[in-house]
Amino acid sequence: MATRTKDVQTDADELVTAREARAPAKQPLTLPADDPVAFPLQLPESKARLQTPAVGQRATRPDGRLHGLGQTQYIDDLTFPHMIHAKVLRSEHAHARIVSIDTSSAEAMPGVLATLTGKEIPRNSFGPTLQDQPVLADDVVRHRGDGVAAVAAVTEQIAADALEKIKVEYEPLRPVFDPLEALGDDAPRIHGGDTNIYASKVIKKGDVEKAFAESDHVFERRYQTQMVEHVPLEPHASIASWDGNGRVSIWSSLGRITLGREDLARTLELPQSKIRLIGTIVGGNFGGKNEITNEPILAMLSRKTGRPVKSVFTRGDEFVSSTIRHPFTMDYKTGVMNDGTIIARKIRIILDGGAYCSWTGTTIGKGSILAPGPYNIDNIHVEAYAVYTNKTTTGAMRGFGAPQVCFAYESQMDEIAHKLGIDPLEIRLKNAFSEGSSSPTSQTLQAVAIKESLNQAAQRFGWKEWQA
Amino acid sequence: MIKRGRGMACMWYPIGFTVAANPSAATVKVNTDGTATVLTGTVETGQGALTVLGQIAAQALGIATDDVHVVSADTDTTPMDTGAIASRTTYVTGNAVMLAAEKARDILFQAAAPLLEVPPDQLEARDRKIQVLGFPSKSVDIGTVAQHSETVLGAPSIGSASYNPPTVPMDPETGQGKPFNTYVYATQIAEVEVDDETGEVEVKRIVAVHDCGTPINPMLVEGQIEGGISMGVGFALQEEILFKDGAQINPNLTNYIMPTSLDMPEIEVELVDNYDPTGPFGAKGAGEPTAVPTAAAIMNAIHDAVGVRITSLPATAEKVLGGILELQAS
Repeated sequence: MATRTKDVQTDADELVTAREARAPAKQPLTLPADDPVAFPLQLPESKARLQTPAVGQRATRPDGRLHGLGQTQYIDDLTFPHMIHAKVLRSEHAHARIVSIDTSSAEAMPGVLATLTGKEIPRNSFGPTLQDQPVLADDVVRHRGDGVAAVAAVTEQIAADALEKIKVEYEPLRPVFDPLEALGDDAPRIHGGDTNIYASKVIKKGDVEKAFAESDHVFERRYQTQMVEHVPLEPHASIASWDGNGRVSIWSSLGRITLGREDLARTLELPQSKIRLIGTIVGGNFGGKNEITNEPILAMLSRKTGRPVKSVFTRGDEFVSSTIRHPFTMDYKTGVMNDGTIIARKIRIILDGGAYCSWTGTTIGKGSILAPGPYNIDNIHVEAYAVYTNKTTTGAMRGFGAPQVCFAYESQMDEIAHKLGIDPLEIRLKNAFSEGSSSPTSQTLQAVAIKESLNQAAQRFGWKEWQA
Repeated sequence: MIKRGRGMACMWYPIGFTVAANPSAATVKVNTDGTATVLTGTVETGQGALTVLGQIAAQALGIATDDVHVVSADTDTTPMDTGAIASRTTYVTGNAVMLAAEKARDILFQAAAPLLEVPPDQLEARDRKIQVLGFPSKSVDIGTVAQHSETVLGAPSIGSASYNPPTVPMDPETGQGKPFNTYVYATQIAEVEVDDETGEVEVKRIVAVHDCGTPINPMLVEGQIEGGISMGVGFALQEEILFKDGAQINPNLTNYIMPTSLDMPEIEVELVDNYDPTGPFGAKGAGEPTAVPTAAAIMNAIHDAVGVRITSLPATAEKVLGGILELQAS
């Protein structure tokens, strides 16, 4: 690698020399850090972009060219005059009461322009279903990713150093990390009340108990999935800037700006007309950028300092403070006839909700409705519960519960096929939806293509010809 | 010894939730040269949504993808949108863009009708022309019509519309009802190699056959499927956030292992021929479902290869080897 760096340096030196040779005398030239790429004005166009009709064309993306040329402006590429940088201090405990926060030493540091705590945020709560999450925790921290204070400084490094000067006194509370333990009577109540269950869903169709009694075989199994992170290439990033009319402009990697502006108006207690939210080109979302994170903090710091304020999550921030995928504990019980026909399915799902609700409402809904699988099953009982734990907040992630339940229903499908000696393809075709089938919620399905996808995939793979 | 196995998984996934309001709005403006601008409140998050929305507007106006510029994601200028979530953009925002483009096109039809001496309902927009239905030779260039409409008749071609898949409440006791407007379907089949001495799993090939209704841009659907499979491979075999006393112990890309290009299998993608009359030009959606069946297919392939049934993800080498040793012991 050293050699390569040296080569680049040599090339750059040569380029400077060559430029200086061409430049008028006495005009010292320096090579800009980012030398813009010279590109032809006559751009080659993809034929598909020029053809009609447009639908069905393999048209290239205009943003793809900009990515390739390095011209896409992500938040980290944006800069404004007098812009400063913010960092957020995160909790040292998974569950604790905040006794005091002392930011005075941080504020005294040269280069630090402002600090912020949760008590200064006009309305310190947000969330798409339940507004149970503080922008900055001001009373209780419920997981290690909770922010407790923020610093704005002239450089990112000074802001990071200043975090170490903030003194937070905590009174530790008993934490609970396992969702099944969190259901127990003696478990600490993470948000007060008499239970840690904060969302539930029931789907009932037919009579499962009667159908189990009539089944030739009953299969039971527990399936579990883990916590995973979206890992977008571009971490969460935003910039906030107030103008002299009391309007704040916010550039953000958020994927839903209309609802994001509502959240900002609520937390900042501002009319929506005073907020401009601009969604930049996002370097990967996968469901993880559906909620405000640092935006209200930056807006407050910008108001305090009169300067644009930027923050870009570190990879560590991205893991611990943004949302991640819900782990599911899924108990499947399935009643099957000798010929492979499924007649009953009972499913109980416990979702590890982490510290706050976030997008659990959508996840529990989709997960429950999809859990029986794309099969004609007359008798269904699904019940699902989301439980608070003192861990990273779980929220929206590509599939909203569908990858978890698919792992369960398709694993059990193979177990059934194996036990009954039926080919996995045949047992799926036997039970799969067709046009006009009734879903677990008794919805009549249209444009159904499950059997077509099974047959087409089997043919492409060479399922029947396969030899291990 | 290396053991080969194959496993399949199919899935269904909903598009256009209806349990709560789920609207998108859009504006389409035709310029006086027949090109167009689309305003949408959605955000390009890397999936190619703006290209697809441009293609939908172009189709409704009878022009090419390159003729349309899409402006997005600024609350000062673009109309409301529920956002780049839930695989809803092609379907919900796409329907809004189509309806807005049709309104703009109707203004062009009004302007072209006297020129072509037929009623507006006898016209269609195709190949950058406004033409008489069934008589392509009787036509006017779309730019000429747009110019005439705006600068002679004083009727600029612009349309705004919104779309909301009809909201239907569910029964809170039984969960019965119509929670989504439509669904997509898919099957993935995985071929794996499992080393029965180490438990290591290598995914060699995945065949992915997905339904997304009409693929507005088949290349972008294929891209979604390949990306979804990479997420599915990580979910199946590698990725896991680990905790100690409530603190993540691997919050970095050194210790949180996810697939790189070297871990990716050969991917063969096919699309099912399908058409959903409720979607724009028959389209449904493609974003999330691509990541759904991959892990299940890989788990079934591991079972086929070595007889081990993995019941908790991810199927790390330790877990698979543990299962193999248990089988050998019994």
